Order: sequence, then structure tokens, then C-alpha cells
Amino acid sequence: MAGIMSSPWVGLKHFKTIFTYPNMLQAVGRTFIYGCVIVFGGFPFPIILALLFNELRNMKFKKVVQTISYMPYFLSWISVIGLFYSFLAIEGTFNQIMAKIVGDGYEAKNILMDSRYFLPIIFISHLWKNVGWSSVLFLAAIAGIDPSLYEAATMDGCGRIRQIWSITLPCIKGTVIIVLVMSLGSLFNTNFEQVYGFQNVYTQEQTEIIGTLVYRQGIENGKYSLSTAFGLCQGVVTLFLLITSNAISKRLFDSSIW
Amino acid sequence: MKISRSEKIFNICNILLMLFICVITLYPYLNQLAVSFNEGMDSMRGGITIFPRRFTVSNYAAVLKSADFLGALFISVLRVIFATFISVVVVYSCAYGLTRKGVPYKRGITLYLMIPAYINAGVIPVYILYRYLHLMNNFLVYILPGAFVFYNMIIIRSFLQELPASIEESAQIDGANDIQIMFRIIMPLSMPVIATVVLWVAVNAWNDWTTTLMYVTERELYPLQYLMMRLIKESETAQQMAVQATMNKGAAIQISKPTSESVKAATLIVTTIPIIMVYPFLQKYFIKGVMLGSVKE
Repeated sequence: MAGIMSSPWVGLKHFKTIFTYPNMLQAVGRTFIYGCVIVFGGFPFPIILALLFNELRNMKFKKVVQTISYMPYFLSWISVIGLFYSFLAIEGTFNQIMAKIVGDGYEAKNILMDSRYFLPIIFISHLWKNVGWSSVLFLAAIAGIDPSLYEAATMDGCGRIRQIWSITLPCIKGTVIIVLVMSLGSLFNTNFEQVYGFQNVYTQEQTEIIGTLVYRQGIENGKYSLSTAFGLCQGVVTLFLLITSNAISKRLFDSSIW
Repeated sequence: MKISRSEKIFNICNILLMLFICVITLYPYLNQLAVSFNEGMDSMRGGITIFPRRFTVSNYAAVLKSADFLGALFISVLRVIFATFISVVVVYSCAYGLTRKGVPYKRGITLYLMIPAYINAGVIPVYILYRYLHLMNNFLVYILPGAFVFYNMIIIRSFLQELPASIEESAQIDGANDIQIMFRIIMPLSMPVIATVVLWVAVNAWNDWTTTLMYVTERELYPLQYLMMRLIKESETAQQMAVQATMNKGAAIQISKPTSESVKAATLIVTTIPIIMVYPFLQKYFIKGVMLGSVKE
């Protein structure tokens, strides 16, 4: 490589290639879809979990369940992928359960080798790994609610579910919105480790996202300029999303990440 | 107080749901634990739940005897120790400096340090940069690039800002110099936040495998997580070959003997067990990190 001064100027050549190369455009679309599914589809679950934790009256039990639910968060993505691989393997537990449910006609198959199931697997593994830990912030918000509100509600004859709906949820609304707004920044930033780990020869072509394509084209095939241009596009969009979501959160709640 | 009927039903459903969550969280792990203690040939038949069918420790013996594994374990441990130490020294000194009175341009410096936390050029420019810095296939690639983490710096900084200024003033009156104030007054007080950052960095260093994927090709530098990634991908390739072999039955394809599921499971258990053993006792520090981080500026 020759540095800035002595490299030939190619203008927008590589950016043009991105928009004419169908594989790359698809990867852009896919990155966005995966991001949306994980951010919007995944975000109610930790809140629900935190609400349910809060309703447990036996403190010891609550502590144990919480600790167990945090466990997958501390494992590396590759360990999680290893667990999923053996769970979904042909002779694995998943196929045994399916065989029991479906009955005799069931043919064992490995759904990791079918790209149609890729997004559900990404989504479920994301939930499995993160849902417990993500509930921590909401639990803290719930712990900050004034207990006299619940006492007053009980006096007025409110049941537990009514209390969740009319007291807990409105009180943590602020936290919920902040967390949601802040996660908008990752709409265009699907987890490389997760997607790369779950890809295999059968699914790779149909599941390529920006991160994995940049890695394959750039580091494995040595197309530095093209993949730099591609990666840069992602960086710019992510930064734009981050600034936008921060501006929203600043305007709505006066809280900012900088 | 009388517990109403509907409340009782709600409680029971909630407890059942929680038990269900525990089961789906723990089952895959316990299953691997059982497979790792099961005889390799027997595991191929499948159907193992959470108890081994034919108990053996030979898988662990095989894992612990393999030179690859021992080398990777050495790299992983070395890396965690050095990465954590250097990162904490760098991040703490930075945060400390940014909370001192009389340091000019604090806001400007913070903004400058924030830039790379949110803007980066992407994988390839970093790759090229590391190559020029001779970090490729170099143990230092595990330590230096990740030494400064802006987020951790902010956590320590906000902790230090909370400390009352009078502590420092009274130490000065008692005749302590700047060095003494830092090492003998402020640092002992900030141990809780240092512990938090140490744990974050150590867990991340232990769990990381993409650094190796991108910048390391030499076998001697593989950490445990990367070794496991290779095993998982290898067994997947073996499965694909088996599928292909059954597809074209006539042509008998010679399948190279794959690492058995049980040995793979044993590797996974050994790789994850340090974290599984440790995190329940340290979770309060991790939670503290999340809380401090969520209270910004």
C-alpha cells in the first residue's frame, strides 16, 4: 500500500460497485431486517421478565431464578453457538422433542443447515443469551417505585395484575423509552460474532450481512478497497442513527449519552 | 391479609413460568455436561438428557492431554492477566487525571477520547493499521488495542467525581503529596469501581475470539475460545460430509475421523466453567457497572 499521497485516485468507483453488486445490496437489507427484528421484537421480553421477577414473593427463589437467568449473558457467543449446535443436531434434543410431538412421520433434520430458519435462530439465541441480563435495568427502575402507591392501590381493592398495569408500567415508562431509543443505534449493527458463528456452507450465501461480507471480501479475499467502502457505509449509517436517537432522547427526557 | 383466589392462581402460574425459564436456560448446558461425561461412541447414538449413559472421564483426559488445548489455555490465562492489568492502569489513570482540579481542557479531552468509541472506520482500515504496527500474529494484539475502553473510563470517572473534595483537601493539610493522595487515599476508596471494571475486562478478554479470527493465524497464539470455534465449525463440516455421503450412497466418501461430540462437549465445559463458577458471586459488581453506566455525565 502506498499511503494517501501516492495512491491513485479512483473517485467513487468502489461505492458504485456496492450499489451494482446484488449480493452487497442484499446484505445491507438483511443487516437492517435482522437489526429491526432483534431491537423491536426483542425489547418487550426483558420488561415482562422484570415484571414477573418483581411479583415473586419468595426472596430466595427470586434470587436463584435471577442468577440462573443471567448465566447465558456471561458465556461467549461461541459457547452459546456450541450449545445451540448440539441442541439442534440431528441426534440432538430438539429433534427428539419434535419426533415426540409430530409422531412417526417425523424426519430428523438439522435446521441450522436451512437458511429459512436462520432469522428465528438468531432471534431466539439473542433472547436466550440476553433476556435475563437486560431485565436488570428495568428491575432497578421497579425497585425505585414508591411502595405507598401499591399500598394505596391495595386499599382501593386493586389486584396484582391491575397493579402491574396501572402502577408499575406507568412508573417505568421513562426507563423503557430511554432503553428503546438508545437501542435504535444498533438497528444497523447486527452482531458479527453471532451471525458468523451460526453461518455454515449451506446458509452462508443467503444469510450474509454487512459485517460478515466485509470480513470475507476484505480479510479472506484481500479486496481491501471495496470492503472498506462497504464498511464505511455501515459506519456512517450507524453514526447517523446514534445521533438521531440521542437527539430524540435529549428532547424527550433531557438525557444524553454525551 | 387474605390472599384471593385469582392471586393464588397468578402466583402459581408465575412460579411455573420461572421454573420453565430455569429449565430452558440450564438444560442445554447440563446436556453438554452429561455428554462430556459420556463415552464418545455411545454419544453418537444421541438421546442423552442430563445424565450420562455410560460414565467416563476419558473425554476430559483427552482434552487435558492435548497440546493444542494446553497451549490455548496458557494463552487465554496470560491474556486475561495482562489485558486486565494494563487496561485498568490505563483507564484508571485517565479517569483520575480527568477528575483533578486544575487540569485544562477536560471537556475537550473527554470529547476527543469519545470519538473512537462511536465512530470507527471499519474492519479493514483497522486490519491494515495493525499490520503496519506489526500486531498481526503478535500476542500484543490481545492486549494493546483493547486497553482503553471509553465506557469503563466514564464509569470510573463518575465514581471519582462523587467522592467528596474534602477528603483530598484534608490529606493535603496533613502534608500528603500528589502521589500519596492518589495511591494511599483515592485508590483504596475506589476499589469497588476498580473491581467492577476488572471483572468486565477479564470476562471480555476470556470470551473474545474475533480478535484471533481477524488478526492471528499462528496456532501457538490461539486462545481457548478460538480453539472451540474451530471445533464447532469442524464438527459441522463433518456433519455436512456425512449428509453428503448418505446422499450419494454409491460413492463411499472417506470421512476423516471428526472430534467426537463428547470431546467437543468437554472442551466447551472446560472453557466455560471458570465463568460459570465465578459469576454468581460477582454479579453484584456487574450490576453495579450497569447502574453506574446508565447514569451518565
